Amino acid sequence: MTAPDWEALLGRTSFIELDARARAGALLDDGTARELCGPFDHLDSPWLEPQGVVPQSDDGVVVVRGRLDGRPAVAIAIEQAFQGGGIGEVSGVKIASALSLATRDNRDGIPTSAVLLLESGGVRLQEANLGLATVAEVCSAVLELRAHQPVIGVIAGALGCFGGMSIAAGLCTRLIMTAEGRLGLNGPEVIESEAGLAEFDASDRTLIWSIDGGAQRVRTALADALVLDDVGALRSAVIEAVRQGVPGEHRSQRIGELRARVEAVDPAHPPEPSGLAAPAKGAPPEGDG
Amino acid sequence: MARAKAPVRDWTRRRTAKRERLAAVRPFASGRIVDAARTGDAVQALLRPGDRVVLEGDNQKQADFLAEALAACDPDVVHDLHLLIASISLPEHLDVFEHGVARRLDFAYAGPQSVRMAQLLADGTVEVGAIHTYVELYARMFVDLIPDVALLCAEQADRDGNLYTGANTEDTPTIAEATAFSDGVTVVQVNELVDRVPRVDIPGDWVDLIVESPRPFALEPLFTRDPRHIGQVEILMAMLAIRGIYERHAVTTLNHGIGFDTAAVELLLPTYGEELGLRGKICRHWTLNPHPTLIPAIESGWVESVHCFGGEPGMERYVAARPDVFFTGPDGSLRSNRVLCQLAGQYAVDLFIGSSLQIDADANSSTVTEGRLTGFGGAPNMGHDPHGRRHASPAWLGLRAGEPSALRGRKLVAQITQTFRAGGVPAFVETLDAVQVGTDAGMPVPPVMIYGDDVSHLVTEEGVAYLYKAAGPAERREAVAAIAGATPVGRDADERRVEALRRDGLVALPEDLGVDIRRARRSLLAARSIEDLVAWSGGLYDPPARFRSW
Repeated sequence: MTAPDWEALLGRTSFIELDARARAGALLDDGTARELCGPFDHLDSPWLEPQGVVPQSDDGVVVVRGRLDGRPAVAIAIEQAFQGGGIGEVSGVKIASALSLATRDNRDGIPTSAVLLLESGGVRLQEANLGLATVAEVCSAVLELRAHQPVIGVIAGALGCFGGMSIAAGLCTRLIMTAEGRLGLNGPEVIESEAGLAEFDASDRTLIWSIDGGAQRVRTALADALVLDDVGALRSAVIEAVRQGVPGEHRSQRIGELRARVEAVDPAHPPEPSGLAAPAKGAPPEGDG
Repeated sequence: MARAKAPVRDWTRRRTAKRERLAAVRPFASGRIVDAARTGDAVQALLRPGDRVVLEGDNQKQADFLAEALAACDPDVVHDLHLLIASISLPEHLDVFEHGVARRLDFAYAGPQSVRMAQLLADGTVEVGAIHTYVELYARMFVDLIPDVALLCAEQADRDGNLYTGANTEDTPTIAEATAFSDGVTVVQVNELVDRVPRVDIPGDWVDLIVESPRPFALEPLFTRDPRHIGQVEILMAMLAIRGIYERHAVTTLNHGIGFDTAAVELLLPTYGEELGLRGKICRHWTLNPHPTLIPAIESGWVESVHCFGGEPGMERYVAARPDVFFTGPDGSLRSNRVLCQLAGQYAVDLFIGSSLQIDADANSSTVTEGRLTGFGGAPNMGHDPHGRRHASPAWLGLRAGEPSALRGRKLVAQITQTFRAGGVPAFVETLDAVQVGTDAGMPVPPVMIYGDDVSHLVTEEGVAYLYKAAGPAERREAVAAIAGATPVGRDADERRVEALRRDGLVALPEDLGVDIRRARRSLLAARSIEDLVAWSGGLYDPPARFRSW
């Protein structure tokens, strides 16, 4: 950001300060939001209580149906304050089912897009393989839906999107991030504990954001738009991303291009984050979508 | 009758010793400037067994290069030192004892090293003289703990020894004065040798030796609290404190301790405080480090002046741009001074409010918990009613006591805490851990941080207790219990008695103060993140990397 507008920054309504339910509602058109499988349906995880964790009646995922810019859409929000946005059996199935229902609507002639609010540390450790299995279902449901209508991912908060849900993020039609948002397959602490401090210092926030942060992910075209943490700005960005429709080829399908970027890196002489490949030819320019 | 005349005495032993010490260092120095590569040799040559040595470890900045040199001394040559360290922050501070270089210790605070401190004490590796408050330890440097050698740190020095200590002046002038004027030797590590210092914080003739450190001295951003971690309970307590203490007593001069509770108060002033029409009526003059969370209140016109104990990394440009509010030198940068700010906090402010870790049924309060010997820092100094105060203010007079012939006011000393800490540990306990820790360490008095009879107000998420109104110890205990929630202390509260205490004004619940619990939300904070603080400062605040999430 150059010469930031401090007044605008202070005047904004922070998106990430809202809870998952309010975030999902804030993106949709006023008065159109209707929650599916809400807390009063008591779809809580059966696996948490035996492990001494207090479950939550929505299992940390909020599914809201409504309209976006007048067109049918479903917003699916992960609650970062519950289990670090970890995905379990129930919450994962809620996401996958919501996406599948949107696909069914599309097949029935009701064009329905989806917005995924991906504040998640990955699969919930307490639910292990069941959580992993549902992540596969979520990914498969994203692939089905994105053929019909855009699936837009939003990563707005400093918790970031890691682990299983980062794969789903990679499959989204378009990804919107804030500068505070982070995206990575393995979180910094995981890399440090598996590969050592020399590989990655999880206390070095400058390093972390220079690699996983929203600005870097957009600069290197692994995400598409860098937006201020503001309800209005994020809603506009999501509407614009949906309006651009389904691309001929999704980012995750441009395998040759992605592979070339990986191969350009010499692990013996890792590049500085600032020196990483900027968008290669054929990638959408920054801000496109 | 002939007076009994003592045998001829040498009145200049310290001066002679100083000359000899400096002569011993000469091979490693050119004039005042010690060769950095020979720092260890120089320190070893300077010291004599049994010396009393101040190792500058302030609340924030640390003479870490000299601490390493001291820890590396040969214990056959240098041993049995008596160290004075205000804040034991570095591993090297305790290595000195493990290596047998030092034996005795007087200190004020041991936050980051508190666990190891307790162990070394239990093992007999360290003999502790006493745990002090900051001013108390510095005061003793002029009385019965006069230093032989002081190992100090500064930003810059010129070749005449003039020192620039910059925003983090902290304790250096005080230690330098105690040492220089008692014929002790002052050694200073500086980040940089320059031709001309931007301002003279310590004159060159107080300084004997200078070494240019290969890296800047260690400095911790201890007073930065990320507003992201302020939750609804802290916000509720801040609302209670503002209405129940600041507004009720018209507190215009104050000090805040470190913590999220008081950070929440700072961030509610421009929102909740403004709504209540309190701007200009409360919180005008502060003794406080440059807390980033105070930026919104300053920018909204709440704050007339702030005098600082030390600086805070990242706040340099902001402070320099607000010289009407902060004490700054002719060079434009902050001038802090811990002893003077502590004195100001003791005598010139009406309210001290700070967080505690443990409070007992009599309102005695301590941050010493099992296995940790943290010490006190400055809290007890400001957290008491100074009987040497004579000037009156409405807040001070509001707590008046005594017969008309000896009428006097009282300082507001508030403790603020949730009834339970993280992990479900009760903050209110029957007996402070400090009592056992004191016994185990053979201390003559238990390390209580704030004595219960000094606490005038207690704030929890349940309400405010006006302990100064209690008729005696029994009523004081009832008032504490009334707001101690479901802790061992609060469980015994008698509901009818609580009603009576509310009627008598000893206890106020949120509804008694007009505080709407439902409004205790993060949206009430003037800033909800470090980015917001940067925005409030117009980009002048540069948060340290560890607080950035972008």
